[in-house]
This record gives sequence, structure tokens and C-alpha cells, in this order.
Amino acid sequence: MSAPVIVADKLTKYYGARLAVDEVSFEVRPNEVMGLLGPNGSGKSTILRILAGYLRPTSGSARIAGFDVVGQGLEARGQLGYVPEDVPLYAQMRVNEFLDFMGRIRGLSNASLPAAIGEVVERLSLGQVRSVLIAKLSRGYRQRVAIAQALLGKPKLLVLDEPTNGLDPRQIIEVRELIRTLSRDLSILVTSHILAEIERVAHRAAILLDGRLLSVHTLGTAGDGSRVRVRLRGADQAAVRASLQGVPGVSLVESLSPHGTYILESAAGAAPAVRALVQAGLAVEEVGSSGSGLEELFLRLTEGAPR
Amino acid sequence: MRSFLALLGKEVRALFQSPIAYTAIAVFLLLMGYSFTLTLFVNKYATLVHIFFQSAGLLLLIVPIITMRLFAEERKAGTLELLLTAPVRESHVVLAKYVASMAVVLTMIGLTGTYAIVLGLYGSPEWGPIYSGYLGLVLLASMLVSLGLMISALTANQVVAAIVTIGVSFMLWTIDTLAAMMPDALERILISLSLLARFTPFATGALYTSDFGFFVCSTLLALFLAVRALARR
Repeated sequence: MSAPVIVADKLTKYYGARLAVDEVSFEVRPNEVMGLLGPNGSGKSTILRILAGYLRPTSGSARIAGFDVVGQGLEARGQLGYVPEDVPLYAQMRVNEFLDFMGRIRGLSNASLPAAIGEVVERLSLGQVRSVLIAKLSRGYRQRVAIAQALLGKPKLLVLDEPTNGLDPRQIIEVRELIRTLSRDLSILVTSHILAEIERVAHRAAILLDGRLLSVHTLGTAGDGSRVRVRLRGADQAAVRASLQGVPGVSLVESLSPHGTYILESAAGAAPAVRALVQAGLAVEEVGSSGSGLEELFLRLTEGAPR
Repeated sequence: MRSFLALLGKEVRALFQSPIAYTAIAVFLLLMGYSFTLTLFVNKYATLVHIFFQSAGLLLLIVPIITMRLFAEERKAGTLELLLTAPVRESHVVLAKYVASMAVVLTMIGLTGTYAIVLGLYGSPEWGPIYSGYLGLVLLASMLVSLGLMISALTANQVVAAIVTIGVSFMLWTIDTLAAMMPDALERILISLSLLARFTPFATGALYTSDFGFFVCSTLLALFLAVRALARR
């Protein structure tokens, strides 16, 4: 198996006396999309900034493609493309000029620059706006320009901080699609506080809360249809369990909330489970796929956390 | 080297694409031209000594305006994060901004060379003090630019950067006036830090290696501190 692109080992970061990241360790493998999921202020952006070389960890270490982000910062930064959360760009530059500048500081030569820029412009569909001032671009185009600059020089890792923030639904779908396509060529570390975003694009999700890594969850089971989520009105756990007794292939997995949301395991889809619940006289209000189980896991792990 | 040239190109374009450089150069030349004309045609002195002192005084005001945005603007806009997460050295980022700002200031000082040419054409000035005066101006400007850069690297607010740079520059310019009130040991230190005391010999045609060394070392120190201010925290 090939070496991991990111190895974070007990990364810790204090801002003054405040602990922002607490001994976080994880790995990202080649061509893997890893999502960092957590509420605002959980330390996601700080972790990305440490990996991108903008901040130093207070303790712990991180390696990008084998290069230590502190001791071999220049080499490590050469291996990654980074798109910060608020997509900061030089507003007074034109798109072409900006990509040319970023390409040069990423070490591309005069000879290789035009082809490299042409490639990212095509990949990000920036052809129409190549000579437009960045200040005049929409949020969606700015995001694309920021991703384009990060891809110059063919990095092994793309780091995206909340890439869908401020985008309209169509743009969000485009970014998701882009992440999926890009992961064929490189590893991607993406943060979001929106669970559905991570669930849709990532292979694995790391759940963070108050700077601590609570769990790393594999999302491979997404959408296989075996886990069903049902919301019932005023039904307790015993009644649900009783109604499902004797129904082949259906079982109660867990209760998500006291007011009646349950996760069921049903090999043949939602129908037999719902039929049994209705026949037992329970009021079924909502039925849905439980997806990868990330939402349940997230709720369980962050239960009791201050909001 | 390639990345340094790219950084330098970006800085030069940013300075010369904005009205800041042209306004600074125009105002500087207007005031200096007025002063030069007055001295030459009214007082009939074929000398540039007063121009050197007035230029130095104006540099204390204009250089902080040129340097205030260099890092403060990038910090505020967030582009500093983009720059420092690219595979470039902090020293290259600082040097590129220093060289670009010096290009503006040298253009400004260089254009006052026309006064020396006028003196040469219509009078017979002593060239020694003119050469040393220009050398002094360049050294002073270099020190002020690096000081402004360092202060701009510490804040995200351009106005704060400008005000603090002007304050520190003026304090260093006049610090020898405090010297008389201090004990002997401190008096010597204060005089040795005074920009006015260091600049005066250049303007009047006297060259001392200690003054030359002071400006070079203080420039290097401020640039080093600017790099440290950018260092990843």
C-alpha cells in the first residue's frame, strides 16, 4: 500500500491559553477524500492552516508527502494546494495575471506555465473570465479561481476549507462534482460544518469537537439502503420493538431521540419495516434512508456539547 | 529566484498601478521644486544642502504612506495566507516588497537629480557634497522603508501602520534633542541613534563609515525583524 499523503501525529495548537486543537492524529491516503467535520470553532481551519504551513503546531507533527510541515516547510508547501475559507484573492489582478503569478511562485518555469494555466482554466471552466478583473467575479467564479491556483504545479494534496460556503445550490453541486473528479488524481482534505456535504464527497470523515478528534468514520456504506430512518409520533422503544418482532430481516438498531426517531436495519428496504409499524398502529410521520450513519454518529458523539 | 522575481513583479505592478506612487512622487517633486527654485533664484546659492534636509524631512512623511499597505493590506484581505502557504520563503516576500518600495523612493529622489544638472549647467557647485547628500538620502530612505515594512508586518490596519511608522521615524530623527537631559552613557546612545545626527554629515559633504554602517545595519535589522514578524506562529 502506498504511503499516506498526510500523517498528522498528535497535532496540538494553543492560541494563548485557549486550546484550539488537542492531540489530533489522522492519515490521508493517496486519492482519498477525507472530510473534517465539526461545528464552527471545533478546530477544523486551524488544522488546515497547520498542514498548509500558515500556523505552527504548539506540539505534535505533521508530514505532507513525507515532508515535515515545520522542518521542511518549503518542500511540504510545494506538495499541496490550499484554498482558505474566505477565498482571498488579489482583487486588482486579472484571472490570467493571478494564475501566472501563483504559477511562478509555485515554481513553474516560463516554458511550462502556459500549458499549466491552460489546463486548470479548462478544468475549472474559467475560459470566459480569463481577462476579467478578480474584483468583478461572482463568488462562484472566485471559488473556481482559488481552486485553479491551488492545482497549479500538480500538487499531491488539495486542501479546501469550507469550499461550498456562500455558493448557490448549482455552484455547490459543481464543487462537489469537481471534488469527485479531482480525487482521481490527488488526495483531498476538505472541511465543512455541513454534514451532508462531507457525506456526499468524502471517503472518510473525521469528526471534531472542541479541538478533539472524536472519530474517523468510513463512508463506504453510503446509500446502500439497508438502514432506514423512521420518525414516529409518540411511540416508545418497546412498542417499536414489539411491532417489528417476527418481521424477517428487520430489526431496531437504535433510538435517536426520545420523541420517536429510530434507525432500523431492513435488508429488503423500507417497505416491510413501514408495513409492520403501520399494522401495529404506530403513526409513521417520515421515512428516509439513514445513509452512511454519519449523522447518527455525529449526533451521538457531539451529544451534550454546548451549542 | 524565479519566485522572488514573480513576487517583485507583483509588488512593482501593485505600487505603480495604484495612484499612491504617482501622488507621492508628484507631491515630493512639487515641494522640492518650489524650494529649489526659491533658493537658487531668490537667494542665489548654488547648493543642494537645504534640498537634502527638506527631502529627508519629507521622506519621514511620505515613506510611511508608501509602506503602510505592504503587509497590512495583505493581512486584512487574507492574501497573506495565500502567499505564505505557497512554497516561497518569508525573506523573499519581505525583500520583494522592500525592493519595490525602494524603486518608488529612488525614482522620487532620482528625479531631483535635475536640480543638480541645473546647478551644473548654470553654476559651478561643489560636487562632493552633492554626491554624499544623495548617498545619505538613499541610505535614509532605505532605513525608513525597512522600518515601515516591519511595522506594516505587525498589523492588519494600514492607518495604524502609517501613524506608528511616522511616529517612530520622527522620534528617531529628533531623539538627540533628548540627549542633553540624559546621563552620559545614555546621551551617547541617544545621539548615536539620531537619524538627524547620522544624516547631517552626508548632507554637508562629510562621509563617515560609522554613519554608513548605521544606516545599512538598521536597514538589515528592520528587514530581519519584518521576516520574523511574518514567521509562522
